[in-house]
Amino acid sequence: MKNNTQLIKTRICTMGLLSDPEYGSAKLIKTLKKIHYPLCFLLYIGAVVWFFLLANRDFNNETYFSENALLPGLVSNEFNNDQSARQFYSQLRQELEDKYMDTQEIPVDWLVSQMSQLHLEVYTHNFTLNYPLGQGQIFKGTNVYGILRAPRTSSLEALVLAAPFRSLSSFQKGTEAGIALMLAFAEFARPKKYWAKDIIFLVTEHEQLGIQAWLEAYHGLQSDSGTFYTNLGSFQKPPLINFKKFTKSKLNDFKWFDRSRCLDPGTLKGRSGAIQAAINLEFHTPKIRYVEVKVEGLNGQLPNLDLVNLVHKLCVKSGIHHSYKNSYSWLRKGRGTSTWRDGVSTMLGMVTAQIAGVPNGNHGLFHRFGIEAVTLEGRDVDDISGAAPRASTLPPANFHRLGTALESIYRSLNNLLESFHQSYFFYMLAATDRFVSIGQYMPSLCLLCGAMLLRALSLWVSVQKDPNDDKIKKDSEDNKDSLSSEEKNEEEIENELNESKIDDSERLVKDTEGKVESKGKVPDEIQEDKEIKKREVDVKPNDTDTKSGSDDIDLSIVNIGANFLIVHLIGYGAMNSPFFFSYIGAKYLEVHPETSVYYGLTVTSALVAVLSPFLLRVFRTVPISNDELSVISILLLLEMATACLCIGMNNFSLGFALAVVYTPLMLVVGVNGENRLVIFVKRALCVLVHPLVALTVALSLYSRVLYPEEDVLGMAKRGREATIQAVMFAVADSMIYGNWLFNVATSVIFPTWIVSWQILCTTVRK
Amino acid sequence: MIGGVPPPDPGGGYVSDQNSNNIPSPMDMDSTRPSRKRQIEHSHLAPRSLREVMSRFQVEELHLTLTEGQWRHKQWGYPVLDAAPGAELYAWFSPEVTNIDNQWKKLTSTLAGLFCASLNFIENQNTINPQMSLWPSGATEHLSNSSSYLRYASLPREIVCTENLTPWKKLLPCESSHGFSSLLNSRLIHNTNYHSVGVHVRKICANTACTETFIEIKQTVALVYDFKILNSINWSFKLLFGQGLLGGCPLASSSKIYIDITSNSTTHFKLTPPPNKIVESHRGGSEVTLAIYEIKPDTAMLNIAAKQGTNNRVILNIPPPLYFNRYVLGYGKEFGGIVTEIVNNYWAPIDIVLSENAPWWLPIQLSTLRINGKAKSKLVMGQYYSPGRSRQKPYHLELLLRLPPKSTTTVTIDFEFVFLKWQEYPPDANHGFYIGSALITANLPTAKNFTGLPIEGVTFDSIFNASKPWYPAVFRTNGAMVSLPTPDFSMPYNVICLACTVVALAFGPLHNICTKELVLKATGAPLGLRQKLINLFKKKQD
Repeated sequence: MKNNTQLIKTRICTMGLLSDPEYGSAKLIKTLKKIHYPLCFLLYIGAVVWFFLLANRDFNNETYFSENALLPGLVSNEFNNDQSARQFYSQLRQELEDKYMDTQEIPVDWLVSQMSQLHLEVYTHNFTLNYPLGQGQIFKGTNVYGILRAPRTSSLEALVLAAPFRSLSSFQKGTEAGIALMLAFAEFARPKKYWAKDIIFLVTEHEQLGIQAWLEAYHGLQSDSGTFYTNLGSFQKPPLINFKKFTKSKLNDFKWFDRSRCLDPGTLKGRSGAIQAAINLEFHTPKIRYVEVKVEGLNGQLPNLDLVNLVHKLCVKSGIHHSYKNSYSWLRKGRGTSTWRDGVSTMLGMVTAQIAGVPNGNHGLFHRFGIEAVTLEGRDVDDISGAAPRASTLPPANFHRLGTALESIYRSLNNLLESFHQSYFFYMLAATDRFVSIGQYMPSLCLLCGAMLLRALSLWVSVQKDPNDDKIKKDSEDNKDSLSSEEKNEEEIENELNESKIDDSERLVKDTEGKVESKGKVPDEIQEDKEIKKREVDVKPNDTDTKSGSDDIDLSIVNIGANFLIVHLIGYGAMNSPFFFSYIGAKYLEVHPETSVYYGLTVTSALVAVLSPFLLRVFRTVPISNDELSVISILLLLEMATACLCIGMNNFSLGFALAVVYTPLMLVVGVNGENRLVIFVKRALCVLVHPLVALTVALSLYSRVLYPEEDVLGMAKRGREATIQAVMFAVADSMIYGNWLFNVATSVIFPTWIVSWQILCTTVRK
Repeated sequence: MIGGVPPPDPGGGYVSDQNSNNIPSPMDMDSTRPSRKRQIEHSHLAPRSLREVMSRFQVEELHLTLTEGQWRHKQWGYPVLDAAPGAELYAWFSPEVTNIDNQWKKLTSTLAGLFCASLNFIENQNTINPQMSLWPSGATEHLSNSSSYLRYASLPREIVCTENLTPWKKLLPCESSHGFSSLLNSRLIHNTNYHSVGVHVRKICANTACTETFIEIKQTVALVYDFKILNSINWSFKLLFGQGLLGGCPLASSSKIYIDITSNSTTHFKLTPPPNKIVESHRGGSEVTLAIYEIKPDTAMLNIAAKQGTNNRVILNIPPPLYFNRYVLGYGKEFGGIVTEIVNNYWAPIDIVLSENAPWWLPIQLSTLRINGKAKSKLVMGQYYSPGRSRQKPYHLELLLRLPPKSTTTVTIDFEFVFLKWQEYPPDANHGFYIGSALITANLPTAKNFTGLPIEGVTFDSIFNASKPWYPAVFRTNGAMVSLPTPDFSMPYNVICLACTVVALAFGPLHNICTKELVLKATGAPLGLRQKLINLFKKKQD
């Protein structure tokens, strides 16, 4: 308590600075109050303009090699195994057509025999996926890998050359040419004596699942304690509370989701050292026109810019045309608007890829383990991803050139003495050879968050500013309270994890109908706690401040705090709900998990939308006051700004997109005026940016772009179907790979949305 | 052989050549030329420098190996003498030595000069004192507590190169002019997969009652060739060494080349010229056929070659009875784990001593030790743990394990990453930090794949039919590399540049403001009140 009073005293001092009109800041406050709306608007516009300007050549930089040890392209190429690459290619195709036509399996025997004949150390690796939403569905897979042991080294470092295996019946482009090229490169590299690092040749099954399992096994992240039981990643952590305890009595066969039981990576029989870099090959045919270099990884993580740059530059050297999104190496670059437009579309392409946080190739899962990796994807004239301009005029590539490029890349990586640490890890690419560094793009996000913080500040000063001189002190007390409530809030949010799990499990198990009761119960206990604290806080000002005899403080910390807590608990519950929904759906309704998860989330959202406005009125005797509402919106603004900044630090695209979408809502949310039309527009905006609604609308519009001939109803239908799929993917990715998007949407965006909805649905007493 | 008296041999070296990556090769060539004379009298045979080192620092037994590459036990079988990657040195001191640590430091510094290796980096912070894994092989009187006189250190980061080979060759009586060492062309040994040179000095009994001892100096070299790199499955001296052998060292009493031709029965190959002798040895359940060439000093240029009957060989790798693998777990810069995976491929249990040794910056926690995932295991029969101390002492754990037949045992221990002081980072800090090999001392119940000399053996012919109840062997696992949290070393440079600029720009004006006093000076006579008022208004107007 001593500390508390100390804190309050210091707060009084700082507030004195802010609120004391004698100090000369009153003018500032007045101007702030007057111009903050246009200023916020300006900041918003400024941020967006800033972002789009970055695509201009004057505002971004040319890529360069920061790591001198790479020495790219210094050696003369020797690769001449294109003949054997062609053989491998035709043999593999033959093998697949003969034996694997009807199955999706990976030709383990063929791969093992080919790699053994190349005198690699060959191993196979089995893994199992217990599909978390599939009610006991199990997928099995096998990876094959061969290790080239570098001579005169003790296998301390390694490079990986990977290729996913895709069966003939796969809807995606095949990767036979990639595997053939990999084997030919292995044949070429095996007799060389200059390797300083082992090279691991890896063929994975089931796309990203295989590589995830292999990487987890390589780093010993098996769930059984036999190998490793220090908790490494946060998402790897077993739940703090044993859910079984709560679920046992209610549902006998209901097992709570446990990530560690989800993907069983198995064990590896052979290993090399620390992996420094990886290249993933996706070539369906050797006669590709150009190579797309894919960089975006899990949660928008990017490989070191040096590696990306290396690949681009060495493609140029080997005579292979390459591209990144809408930037094509063979198109002449001017300084005109067309270059700018290409830059913008390239950057926007990168942003959309990063928002989803889904790796667009097998390289994306390496990043989590601190391994730099990119995917080289071969593309034809008529590629699924869209036709590139003038691609038909390009001469088709062949195994020789691809092999030469690969050789150059690996010899350059072989030169690396230190692991990639120079150059940039956070950047955006505006073209294959132009980049925007973190220092250049962060200001745009900061401007957006600055707009929110500015709005918070102006609300703050308007809450405490009162023309009545007598009231100033009293108001400062109010603010003091609100501040301490803020402190408490923070504490609560910190403590939330512990409490929330209990609450959650109870609530979720009890069924959705019991929601209100459980809500009622939980905060009651907390409220008591709060009440005591509040009294203590209340007592202090009364001691110090003798002037305000009657304490008609119209701010209730407890209510604000409890509301925030409950809202975030709902978010946390929503985050953990898909497993529950899919269970209910499969057990009682017999529907697909994607349907049950989607409708479960929709119903939850609707329920919350209907019920949450009453939450503000539940535990109070007097109606909510203007100031209270302002304080809530201040907290809301602070939370949103902080969240966007934090997310943006890790995944700029996601943070930026969230800020762009939610800043307008955050700015308009506030104490409602009289105008009904305005309120309606605000509420409509709020509904529109609800995560699910926004996703549906975006996907409907996207389907409109893809299928312009359909009518509005068809568009909506497609949008809904796409949303069901998207939600399911996000949930599964979050569970299997540790993708954040679903977690961010439910535990950060959803609660803030609820709070803003509450504010918009509340009318204030006069 | 003169009078059967040690010390040995100056010249002997195992040129233990394995010429494939995947099989124990058909050529397991060895030559030892023991010439035995009294040490004092024969400094033309035994290098004086080494003898002086032994007597000056009162060393009882000394083993030094300099190795490039990793012996892959699972694929290659067992070497005659195993060596850790990098530099490895261990020595027993005489019981008379009072301050062993001091003596050890002096010894390492001297050897560093002698072999041009960075052995001077061996300090107390990377020296351990194995309790169970290493035993003296020479004649010593104090076998009971030999471990207190033992010091062991390895430098996994040491890069072995020509500069180490030359001093090694100079210890031979014929240096590199004659004899086997003339084959060691430093240009061509870099075509190998593995090369290791070693010096082993021990005392052996001079007579049957062992009242007198002699010093035996054994110099070894092991090269492993990869026939994929050689681009040929046939081999010859010309291919491997770039030249034939031009006679043995005239000072040697015997020079022999042994070639393991056991596999000749399955995959036929032809040796040219034909060997002088073919010997079959039965040892501990394994049968080995060896072709022996006797090299005389006046032998004409000898180019031993093997020609395979067929070009397509399907290599079936049969792993040895005991093999192991060591790797680091985890990612990130917070926690990690070291796993040693030991496979007992034999039908009977094998007893081993596993000696883990982690540098001080990699604090391993004994509480996290798991064997096959369990904290308590029946496999452990003895345990010794010596906790490390920051910047003073490494962590050292020894486990006496009984490996069940046909089993894989994983020994896992977790560690935490620590921050180093900024001067403690080596150059190229982001390269990573090396963890040395673990020692595995095993009593092998079978001599399958085992080519080590029996303890009383001096030359390679002592392995013939040398069956024993068990065969002691010391193996080294592979090392590992971790990357400690490393600061951005280019950052301070940038900061210094920026800060200096800012200071330079800011200092002048600031200094000016701070040191100079601004005083208003009245011009002329003091003003009257009226004038002052007028001035005030004038100011406002301005």
